[in-house]
Parts: sequence; C-alpha cells; structure tokens
Amino acid sequence: MERSILQYETDRQEAVRVAARLILASGTTTPRVGGVGECTIHIIDDPCDIEDVCQKMEEMAGIKKSWSFFNRDAAMLRDADALLIATSLRCLNDPADINCNMCGKLVCEYLKEEEKLPRDPDVAYTGPLCTFRATNIAYAVDGMMNQARHLGIDTGTYWSMGAAAMRMGIIPRDTGFAMGMAISITEKSPFRDIPKNYADINQRSMTDRMINRLWPQFRSIYS
Amino acid sequence: MTIRQMSELVEKGFQRSVELISLAAHNSFRFNNRNTIQMITVEDEDLEQIAEYCFSLGDMSPLAARDGRNLVQMMKEPCSLLVFGDKRKSDFNYNCGACGYRTCAEMNKAEEVESLTANGPSCVFKNINLGIAANAAASAAHALGLYCRVFSTLAFGAKALEVIEGVDICISVCVSAAKKNPYFDRHEYWTQEHWDETFAKEFPPYNRGFIGAVE
Repeated sequence: MERSILQYETDRQEAVRVAARLILASGTTTPRVGGVGECTIHIIDDPCDIEDVCQKMEEMAGIKKSWSFFNRDAAMLRDADALLIATSLRCLNDPADINCNMCGKLVCEYLKEEEKLPRDPDVAYTGPLCTFRATNIAYAVDGMMNQARHLGIDTGTYWSMGAAAMRMGIIPRDTGFAMGMAISITEKSPFRDIPKNYADINQRSMTDRMINRLWPQFRSIYS
Repeated sequence: MTIRQMSELVEKGFQRSVELISLAAHNSFRFNNRNTIQMITVEDEDLEQIAEYCFSLGDMSPLAARDGRNLVQMMKEPCSLLVFGDKRKSDFNYNCGACGYRTCAEMNKAEEVESLTANGPSCVFKNINLGIAANAAASAAHALGLYCRVFSTLAFGAKALEVIEGVDICISVCVSAAKKNPYFDRHEYWTQEHWDETFAKEFPPYNRGFIGAVE
C-alpha cells in the first residue's frame, strides 16, 4: 500500500483515541440527579477487547428470543473503532432517598427491602434498580452523543454492549445499569443502513464469500 | 421601525429559542425508535402555581422548597419550563430485568402504584428515553447561550398539579434569559443572619467542641 495511505490509517486511529477521550469528557460533565460518584465512563479502543465484548453479546443473544438482536449489534460493533460504556454505580444498592416512586415501591425504604432478581443468565440487570439514579445514564449517553455530533463522528448506542460488559466484569463491581456507545471514524457509518440479517450478511461475510473464497481458484485457473 | 430595543429582542429571541430547544429534544435519540414522549412548556401563572406548590412542601422536601423559592424570583425575567413526560409501561420487549421483573409483560401487568411524584413501576428504558430528551434540550439551550438547569422537583410539581396530563413519569428543563445565571450560586438569598441561623440548626456538630470538653 502507498505510504501516504498507511499514514492516513495511523492518523485515523490516533483521531479515534483523542475523540473517545473528548467524548468521555462531555459525558462526564452532563447533568446528574442526586449527587456525585454516580456514573463512570469506560473506553475500550483495543480491537481485541472490542472482539471480546462482541463475542459476549453473541453468547447472550442465544439466551432468549427477545435478545436475538444482540447478534446484529455485535456485527455492527465489530466495525466500530472504539466503545464507550457508561455505568450507573448507585442505582443498585444506594437509592436516591427522595421517595419518587418511579420504581413503584412508593418510598426508598421499601425499595431497599425488596429482593433483587437473581444473577441468572436471562437477567441482564438485577432489578429493581433505583430508576431515578439509573436515569443519569441517559444524561451521560446523550452528552456523549452530542459531543460526537459536534466532532462530526458517527455513533451508535446499544444497551446490549453495556449488559455484556457487566457480565464480563470489565466495569466497576457496583454497576447496576450500563449502556454503551460505539464511535466510528470512517467514511461510511457502520451503524446506519443496516440490512436485514445483518448478523449473517455484512461486509465481513460478503468479502469472505465473494472474494476470499473464490480468489485461490481464480489464481489457479488464470495462472 | 429600524431600531428595536433590547427587551423586545431578548423576549422574542427567547420565545424562538424555546421552540428550537423543543425541536432538538423532539428529534433526539430514542431507544427502539419509540418516540412516545410528551412535551409542554409552562410559563406565567401556570409556572407560578408550580413554584408555589414546590415552595409549600417546605420541610417535607427542602430541595423542592429551594427550587420553588428560586423559581418565584426567576420568573421576573424571561423564563420557561419545559416539562417532558411519558407513560410508564414498557413497549420495548427487551426483558432486561432492570425494573425488577423478569419480563416486560410481567412489569406491564404489575399493580400500578400511584403517587404525586410518579406512578410506578416504570420501565427503565422509558426513563432513559425521557432523560435523553431532557439532556438534548439542555444541550440545545447551552448551544443557544441560554441559562438552563434540569429539575426533577419542578417536574414532580407539574405532575402533582396535573399541569401535564396523561403521563406517569416526568422531568423538566428550565431555561432562562436572565441578566445573570439564576440557577446556581443564588447568594443574595443567604443573608449572613439567615445563613448563621440555618447552619446552626441543620449542622450543629460543625461548631461543637469535643464531646466532654469543658465549654
């Protein structure tokens, strides 16, 4: 490949690293309800680590029918340049003590007494969570989306990524709710124009079936 | 007329900004493309009603009282409250467990618990969609150079007084075109005397000596 194109590729990856951190900054400074130490944001920009998350998502997709779209999400995330995962640290064990009844338990004392769902394979988040606290994630995620938009970077937002990261244990232990945003600095957003059966038919499988598989025979015949 | 005065410019610009902010909130991201949120803006008498209600909560909710008290002051300058609301039941079928029920169907069937602030149990993703709308509004307000703060207290007030109807959960964003930022550091309220009195009442250990020490 031409040297200048290789240089472009290196610079593009550097742009991903810098942009991910600027997006983290914006997500961190968004509004928070009920205090500090609520949300953390974690950057995953190593391709091998991204692949680990994708595989976990595919594993979860098989658990129940309503999660089958995790396969499609994983196929998109393989094309992402970096993942940002926002967590809510207090919604699991530390209700906001404002008795808002969003969780339906009337007051926070009742929510504290409520038994949580067990950590079964078909439970993504062990609710009931403090909904008031968990809403902080919305602010963090939208803050990140907003910054990415200002930087002109394509994004996709997936809860499947957050659920998989929680299950992998790569985000803080106290996390009750997590949600992920993927960014891509490419000419074509990998998160838009998604055909049906994207998990099976995507650029990767297309290249493999139509080019890689036929190329050795083509060489043999036309040599 | 070729000359327009500042008060007119600010007033008209503010009204247009509120519309643009609502537009930004309306078009923000939603999970599963479920754009079911409702949105209203509240001003003047209706806003005053919310402010008085919140202030009247007093010691029951000091935070609401503080916001109500501040809002009465803020309303003297261009000020508008955007209230966002949504239904509590899940139409996502994610079956994620965050609400405490294994499936969305179970949650939707669960008995509704009504209260002044919100009706539960509510789908966490519904709340997330709502929060994203609120943050998009705040972000648009920031971009337009308006003062802005997200309030859950005032939204709870709007729901309790049925200013916004047909919703189970809500959140509000207050925007203002005041002469200085009215949402933070409202020190004029805290006269030295009032501060000393409140502080001594609320935080007695702060100025107390050692327990057992001779005073």
